[in-house]
Amino acid sequence: MIRIATLAAISGSLLGCDSLVGFGGDATPLVTIQVQTTGDFEAVRSPLGTNPDLQVAVVWGTQWLPEALCFLPPESPEVAAAVVQGCRNPLSFTPTNVTSGGPITPGIPTDISLLELPAADLLFGDVTARVAYASLVIYDDRDHSGTLELARARRQPTRGFDPEEDAATNDVVYGASFLAMTEPDTRLAYREGAFIETGYFPRHGCGVPLPAFSILTAGGFSIAAAVIATQNGMLPSQDPATCSEHKPEDTLVSIPLRPTAEVREVGCEQRRTDSSVRYREPPETSPDLTTHSYACAKIPSLSGDSSANSQIQLIVATNADETCKGITHYTLLGCDEGKLMCDSPEWDYRATPPDWWPCPVQAVR
Amino acid sequence: MLRLVSILATLLIARVCFAEGPTVASDSFPYRPGGPILLDAGLVLGFPTALPTGLSRGVGAGVTFGDCPLRWGARAAWVTATEGTQIWTVTHSDLRARLTGSAQHDAGRGSLGIRLGIGGTLVHETRTRNQGARAGRTGSELETSALAMVPASDLEAVVGLHLLGPWLLTISGGPSFAVVDGSLHSSWTAELGVAWQP
Repeated sequence: MIRIATLAAISGSLLGCDSLVGFGGDATPLVTIQVQTTGDFEAVRSPLGTNPDLQVAVVWGTQWLPEALCFLPPESPEVAAAVVQGCRNPLSFTPTNVTSGGPITPGIPTDISLLELPAADLLFGDVTARVAYASLVIYDDRDHSGTLELARARRQPTRGFDPEEDAATNDVVYGASFLAMTEPDTRLAYREGAFIETGYFPRHGCGVPLPAFSILTAGGFSIAAAVIATQNGMLPSQDPATCSEHKPEDTLVSIPLRPTAEVREVGCEQRRTDSSVRYREPPETSPDLTTHSYACAKIPSLSGDSSANSQIQLIVATNADETCKGITHYTLLGCDEGKLMCDSPEWDYRATPPDWWPCPVQAVR
Repeated sequence: MLRLVSILATLLIARVCFAEGPTVASDSFPYRPGGPILLDAGLVLGFPTALPTGLSRGVGAGVTFGDCPLRWGARAAWVTATEGTQIWTVTHSDLRARLTGSAQHDAGRGSLGIRLGIGGTLVHETRTRNQGARAGRTGSELETSALAMVPASDLEAVVGLHLLGPWLLTISGGPSFAVVDGSLHSSWTAELGVAWQP
């Protein structure tokens, strides 16, 4: 019996001599992307960055609609100037989530790995056909947090509301593979199920994204082409010659380094993505109107908009040197949550506007 | 009044009948003390041999030889447990093989004993990368497996109860130990089964 037991133990040991890992060990990447920067970093380097900690981040995008003021014909030169200062490219890539990344040395190919898929709220479409796009962003991780902190446009002071978090960030963006649909882009795509073409960063005229992860390129289109296509009920077309769809392992993504003023908007998340505006209560003391572009403007309304409002608003744009573009809207009459129409207004200064109020005051009926 | 007397009389008669007591169970379910061989099988629950968490479930069987109080035998069990983290889903299937020695005391229909089992556990590990299939991963990027034999030992309390003829109900349980990657893992195991002792 002892012999049998010994033989059984020996044969069992020979049968299984692997190492058990359990939950340990390194996580297998779900995808690995090769990234390389092009251009001279010193030529674009911000004077503020003394010890640059260059990183690359995978930044997932979201659908975003600009507010009407930013794309309707401006009613005055002052409004036009404020729109230029405070409105971002309406076809910009709009970030919403930073998932992973790693350090990168200029000019040297670097592998970055994704350990998780984009969450369902980042995917556009239903469960049978959905897709997400990401931009690969090169940035100087000034706070050494290891991730890109998305910024928000700074708002001018207001009264009544709780102070908003402006999410200031020290990170400096130097490049992105996908900046705007008006420029050639290289994007990371993640597709589940079938592919249905939508207005989510469209690539009309290009091939469909490959299943799971892929690297896509497109040449971009102009704003005018987008407007014409929209008027015709179509998606703006890409030049098929500029399109490509590859597996990530077969592609080296080249990201040109650029001055941060040209690319930093790719690191700016938007407070509202549905084109709605939060109108604010004017503060007691004047916001900084000496260094910011401002104008008095009508409340813009689109054709078919039944909630047209005759108020005059004060718009104050962000400065050119601020990280993110944005416009602060003030009205003398307003409601909770920044709406203009309600049964009982939250504030009404039409009879006693602030001393500094620069816009015409409508008579109280 | 007549109705009340009738009810009381009925109750008294019923009490008298009840006082006669039930038929003795041993009379209804005669059993045989049995011989020197006992075969048993049952459902096994326990802590996985090499996973840090989870509940293994499976089946086990064994054979015991000898007369009271000292007996010896062999046992085998197959149990499996699947647990997950954000990254991995891990399945461990344990094939336990033990040589056993036990001390047992019989009392009427019942028996109480302690059993020491020494042997090995063959652990088959399957690790599946969560979200890997959705990401298009295949092969070893999606799933890996490993097989390892680890020395192990169990110390169980064993209770047997003769039910009918040669059939017994058996319950056992106790601590279990295994040496995994050079370190001692302690766990527990339990089994509920039936035995046949001709």
